Parts: sequence; structure tokens; C-alpha cells
Amino acid sequence: MAEIKLYTIIIYTENKPGILYRIADVFLKRKINIESLTVSEIETSGLSRFTVVVKGNKFAIEKIVKQLYKIVEVTKVIENTDDAIIFRDTALIKIGMKHVEQRREIENFVSLFSAKIVFINEDAMIIEKTGTEEEITSLYTRLKPFGIKEYVRSGRIALIK
Amino acid sequence: MKNDTKKISGAQAVMESLLAEGVDVIFGYPGGAIMPVYDALYDYTDKIRHILVRHEQGAGHAAEGYARLTGKPGVALVTSGPGATNLVTAITDAMLDSVPMVAITGQVAAHLLGTDAFQEADVIGITTPITKWNYQITKASEIPEVFAKAFHLASTGRPGPVLIDITKNAQMEMMHFSYDKKVYITGYQPNFTANERQLEVAATLLNEAKKPYIFLGHGVLIAKAEEEVKKLAEKAEIPVASTLHGLSGLPTDHPLYVGMLGMHGNYGANVLTNEADVILAVGMRFDDRVTGRLSDYAKQAKIIHIDIDPAELNKNVHADVPIVADAKQALAALLPKIKQASHAEWIHKFRDHDKQEFEKVKQADMHPNEGQMTMAEVINRLAEKTNGEAVIVADVGQHQMVAARYSHFTKTDSYITSGGLGTMGFALPAALGAKVAAPKREVIAIIGDGSFQMNIQELATLAQEQIPVKIIVLNNNFLGMVRQWQELFHNKRYSFVDLKNPDFVAVAKGFFIDAEKLETRDTLDEALDRLLAAEKPTLLEVAVQKEEKVFPMVPTGASVSEIRLE
Repeated sequence: MAEIKLYTIIIYTENKPGILYRIADVFLKRKINIESLTVSEIETSGLSRFTVVVKGNKFAIEKIVKQLYKIVEVTKVIENTDDAIIFRDTALIKIGMKHVEQRREIENFVSLFSAKIVFINEDAMIIEKTGTEEEITSLYTRLKPFGIKEYVRSGRIALIK
Repeated sequence: MKNDTKKISGAQAVMESLLAEGVDVIFGYPGGAIMPVYDALYDYTDKIRHILVRHEQGAGHAAEGYARLTGKPGVALVTSGPGATNLVTAITDAMLDSVPMVAITGQVAAHLLGTDAFQEADVIGITTPITKWNYQITKASEIPEVFAKAFHLASTGRPGPVLIDITKNAQMEMMHFSYDKKVYITGYQPNFTANERQLEVAATLLNEAKKPYIFLGHGVLIAKAEEEVKKLAEKAEIPVASTLHGLSGLPTDHPLYVGMLGMHGNYGANVLTNEADVILAVGMRFDDRVTGRLSDYAKQAKIIHIDIDPAELNKNVHADVPIVADAKQALAALLPKIKQASHAEWIHKFRDHDKQEFEKVKQADMHPNEGQMTMAEVINRLAEKTNGEAVIVADVGQHQMVAARYSHFTKTDSYITSGGLGTMGFALPAALGAKVAAPKREVIAIIGDGSFQMNIQELATLAQEQIPVKIIVLNNNFLGMVRQWQELFHNKRYSFVDLKNPDFVAVAKGFFIDAEKLETRDTLDEALDRLLAAEKPTLLEVAVQKEEKVFPMVPTGASVSEIRLE
């Protein structure tokens, strides 16, 4: 059996309703969990770009790609392992302001991780971090002791190198 | 048609679109949300024959039967909600068996969508996983383009079902109608032409093979490539086995035909799969019922796999030479590259296995001489009497396998069944559709007593339309296939397979269908003669052995070489 890896599958489709359902069903039918999913319109108007991250081996992914091509509205599918792409997630992290004395420490981490403080008031601050899933998780772990009130992460977006 | 822009209603546009696509028969059932279309249909009955089924599932299977014999998409027309959901099984069936179908479902008016309106069901949601494509029309102006796309998708590439859901307001709106059959879809360009280099590799393999073997699948019949298979097989003397849906693609008595693959296929056809050195698989998908345990399937063979659907290549079985193409085109292009050859010894091996199968299984199956009749005996006599020219439409279960094993086929497109989905209740409506498609052919539905009671209501359709389908109910008062498994694998714990059946003859007569029951073999010949001579829909119920088993059998999880003869 081939090695299980993360694959980023980029799917170009006509921008019509119901495509998300058909794409999701290709994975659902085979009980493959979608790790992340982002959808956006692309530069060429009328087309959508789906970025789907799944775990799997090479053979399973090849079969998935062929099934995706069977969707009438799908025009192109490209599957990539992480070494072939530049990929990013964005996370927003909200921290309570109980510990004002720790603010400097937080700011240190923020700057160390090339993150940004994008909002601040007397109750909380919100930090934005764009990076790989690993970098985001790492920052998250460092900030956790300060009391994270809320945390949200986008799906992965990716470009082929 | 392009400049013809008279203003008509959406419902009329549906009719005009159907005419533009050459539709002459619709199987359907009216209801609230499709009433405007039915109102329009009232004025088109001189051009389009509408057959009123008794349950929407029947419409779906009838459309399948029609499609299987014409190659054109079968059309089913039903209302919203339960009308559409009743069609779901038939659509799934068509999806798994690559049958072209256009299902048209009414839908509540657009302004009511999502409000849980009366007879509203999310038909697009429900049918997305079971259609090649589906679309909800909410404006009349969309009708021509969507219909053109639907028929194009259903009938090209790997055929399949598409569904068009039309809201009631779209059926009533007025529109300018013009129809353009030309469809261009960026993401849908099925490849019909085989790669020349792959064909060269395939030819080299076949030319060097000592034990070449051809698998003939449904794709051969869909592509009408029967002649091409035959020529290729004859040129290099290659044995040909068929899948369930490939049956009749090569005549049963052709010297190179070696039988059916799969769980209840023929002994040699299965065993020798694991001895062949080169397998040319055409228009088939290595379904689990064909392959048995994959880890021991044809590992010694180089596999050349031709299919129009790229997703089928390397899906279940590794293809050494994958070829995406229309079967007819690919085989025609391959033929001149194939050298004449002879493989007498190899063929002989199949015949040896046939002999064993005959002695251990077939002889007793076909000529039991005592006790109650067997299914095989009936099918065998029927095949003799019809000269193998009838269209056999088999339901699902033991009788399906017996009909597949013991029919003799002399013409293509002579065996129709629900293979992929295994839908009980398929045969009666499918036979109806098949007979409508090919009124000159004898169409015989072979149905078990269990299957007959699913969709038995279509007897009324047969009677009303006087469609002369011949029905043979092989009655063992059991759900025979499940019982066989319970006997073999569950210690004879016969869990809910015992059927206390109605009097089928009385039931048929109640539907105004001529019927008789046969209990003993001494009148089998006459009964079959009467059935075949009938000019009206007619039923013959045959009481068969209660505990007949279908052999050979590749038990679930076993390898094809472990096929059991007893």
C-alpha cells in the first residue's frame, strides 16, 4: 500500500449551483473525510475553484480525481502533495484581556510568528495569522496558556509552484 | 428549427423538445405538479405514445427496457414528491447499468421551493448521487437548452440517467421556442478514439499470447461492437467469455464462446481467468460479482482494458494497457494489428471444464426426469422453442442466474436484467418497455415468485395497452437466492424467506391477463407452446423445486479459481 499523505486537490468547475454537492458526494460515497475545503470564483469569470484537502494514498487519490472528472461541470482537476504547492490557511484568534501584564509576552509571540493584532479593546484582542497549518497550530499552542476565547481557521488555499 | 420562435407554454416546449430529440414513447404517471405538461401532452398523442404505468418505479424500469433495445434514452415522466421518489430505484438501476434515461419530474412552483409545500421533495438533492447529471428548471426559457443537454449527456459517452426537475410555473410560462441540438460542454468531452500507441502495445501482447482471453461486457452491446469482437476473436482464435450484461453479444453456440464470468458464471470461464496470460476486457468494469477475491484475480495475466469511462480503468483491477475509447472504434482499429493465430489447446481446456460442469451441474439441472421441475429445465426448453431468438428479461434472484446460464442466444440484445443494482421487481416493467421498443421480437419476462410481487401492478399496464409480453413466473414459494445462501452459509437457518403466495393465475386473471399454472413436466412443452403462440400478454406460472440451488458458485470472498460445482 502506498503511503498515506495529505493531498490538495484543486478542482475547476463551471460556477453553477449544486456542484459543491456533487463534489462532496464523491468523497462522502467513499467515506473519505474532507480535511478542509475552500471555494472561490477564479480570475476567468464563470469558473469556480475548489481546494479540497484530503488524506489518502496515491491510488485512492487517483481514483477520486477520475470520479471528479465525471462531474459534467468539472473542467480540470489537479492533485498535489504538499511539496508541489505553496499553501496557506488564515486563522483568527481571540484572547481575553484579563492579563494585561501578559500583553507584552503575547505581542512577542505575535511578532515572532509574523502574525498581526487586528483588533483590540478593553475586553479582548484578535490576532490574525496566515501560514501553514503547522505554523498556525504552533502559534495556537503558544497562545493557549493566555486563555483563547475563540479560534477560527479558514480552509487551505494553494497555488502550484 | 433555430429560427422558429413561436410563443408557446413551457409545457408545450417540453413536448417540442421531446419531439426534437426523436422521442416517440413516454412512460409516465400524472400528478399535481406535472399537470401542465400532461395537458400539453393531450395534444401530442398522435406523435408521442404515452404509456400509463401503475407506479412510477414501473415507468423507470420500462424506460430502461426501452432504452436497452433501442439505444435511445428511455423517458419517464412523473410528478413531484412521491412521484419523483418512487422513481429513485429505477434511476439508480440505470446509473449502475449505464442505461440512458431522461427522467422528467414535476416540481412545486418556484416561489414555493424550500417551503415544504405540498408534494415538495428535494429531488435534485435526492438524485444527485444517482444521476449522470440533473437540473432544476425554474424558468420556461431554460427548457430547450436543458433538454438538449440532458439527451446529449444521457446517450453519449458512458450512458446513464439524467433528471430534469421542472417547477410548475416554468411549465405554464410562455416563451419563444427554438431548439438547437448542438451541445458543447467544456467539461464533458468523452473520448471515442483509442490511443494508437496503446493499441500497438495491446496488439503486441495479444500477438505474443499463448493463452489470450477476451471478456465481452455491456459496453460491447452499447457500442454495437459485437461484430468487431467476433472478428477479432476469430482472427486469433481467442476464447470469449461474457459478463452478465454482455450476454448475447456473441451467440451462445459460437465455437469461441466459453460462457459467463462471475459468481454464477461458467466453470471454465472463471477458473481459466486465473490461467490466461493476456486478457482483453472490453466494456466491462470488473465488478466484484465478476472478480471474486481481487487479491487472487488474474494476477498472472497482462490486462488490456478498453472502456469509454476512464474512471473504470484501474478502479478494481490494474490495467497493464488502459485504453479509453468507444469499444467499436477501438476494436476496429485493433483488428488489423492482430495476427492470425490458433490456440486450439487453450480452447480445449475450456471445453474440458465445460464437460465437468455439464456432468456435475448442467445435466441434472436441465434433465432432472423426476421430482418437480427445475428452473433450468424450463429455461432450456424455452430456449429450444424460441430458437434463442427471444429477448429474455430476467428479474433478480436464482431465476435470473438460471436464465443467464441456460438461455441460448442467437441474436444480440437478448438478455436484459438488473445487474448492478439487483433490483427485484425490474423484469415486468422492463419487459413492457422492451416490447414497446421492439414489437416484432418475442419478449419473455422470467420472474421469481418473490420478484413478481414487487411491481406486480404493471400487469394492469400490460392489459390496458395490450402489450404482448410473455411472463413466466418460476415459483418455488421461496426467496430462492437468499435461501440458497442461508442453506450454504447460515446453517439452513431460513430466516424470512418462506413465501405464502397468492394464486398468481387468479391475480393475473383479475388484471385481465390470460394465465395458467403448470405443475408437472409432462405438459411443459404444450404450455410453452401456448404461451409463445399467444398474441396477448400472457402468464405462465411454473411450480419448480423448492430447494434448487444455483451452481457453479464463487462464494463471497473466494477467488474465481475456488468456484464450487456443488
